[in-house]
Amino acid sequence: MSSSPPEVQKDARQRFEALALPHLGYLYRLAVKLKGRAQDAEDLVQETYIRALRAFATLRDPARIRPWLCQILSRLVLDQHRAGPREVAVGDMAEIDRFSLYDLIEQEDPFPYSDSLHRDFLAQFGDDEVRRALLTLPEVYRVPLVLLYVEDLSYRELAYLLGCPVGTIMSRLYRARKTLERELWACAKQRGIVRD
Amino acid sequence: MGPLTCEQAVQQFFSYLDRALADEPLQDLEAHLDACLDCCDKLGFSRQLDTFFKERLPNSPMPTALETRIRDALRRD
Repeated sequence: MSSSPPEVQKDARQRFEALALPHLGYLYRLAVKLKGRAQDAEDLVQETYIRALRAFATLRDPARIRPWLCQILSRLVLDQHRAGPREVAVGDMAEIDRFSLYDLIEQEDPFPYSDSLHRDFLAQFGDDEVRRALLTLPEVYRVPLVLLYVEDLSYRELAYLLGCPVGTIMSRLYRARKTLERELWACAKQRGIVRD
Repeated sequence: MGPLTCEQAVQQFFSYLDRALADEPLQDLEAHLDACLDCCDKLGFSRQLDTFFKERLPNSPMPTALETRIRDALRRD
């Protein structure tokens, strides 16, 4: 952990464990939402706790340990993405920004006798298909969206947590949702719910 | 700024749903929504989509052995 004497290290670790481990369940649930697979979530949480212990001396307010752990975990996901081969590859940004699932459903009208066309369209998809769509999102989009959904944070809070400008958060949340709309439409075409 | 067009209004929907609009931009959007049923329907669908995805985020119970695994990893570090 550091070059401190072993008894000092042990004392710091015990204080850290007492403060941080009560949030393990919360962090694991967040990690599953971010990573999809239980094994990946476990690895992420373990790495989060190791990083947090190493940086424990920098935590100024112990009452803020949960958002601090959440920040370490979220940034780890983004860093893993930066280190990996998968780049932001969601297609033409202008096309994504203009994409409107609402308009496409209305134009295609897959259920001509429906009184609630858009609701009936969404009802076609199983949980697994929707989760797959969520996991196709690049991490730079998925992380702020999941944090928004789970934590109900403001754009300013998200910007602080993820270390980027508020405008970047705003555009990433916009594109995250538009990309999800496009994924649902692609899935509907693949399943023959709408014409290819 | 004059009244919003539908295209301009739609681009503000997510910020509106995320409570990130204030002051004049918020007033402009609400004025547009008061007068445009089509945009109200589209906003309703955006809200519905958020709930749809939020409720389907992956979930699984924490493995009972995870705490032991973390404690062991912290001791080894």
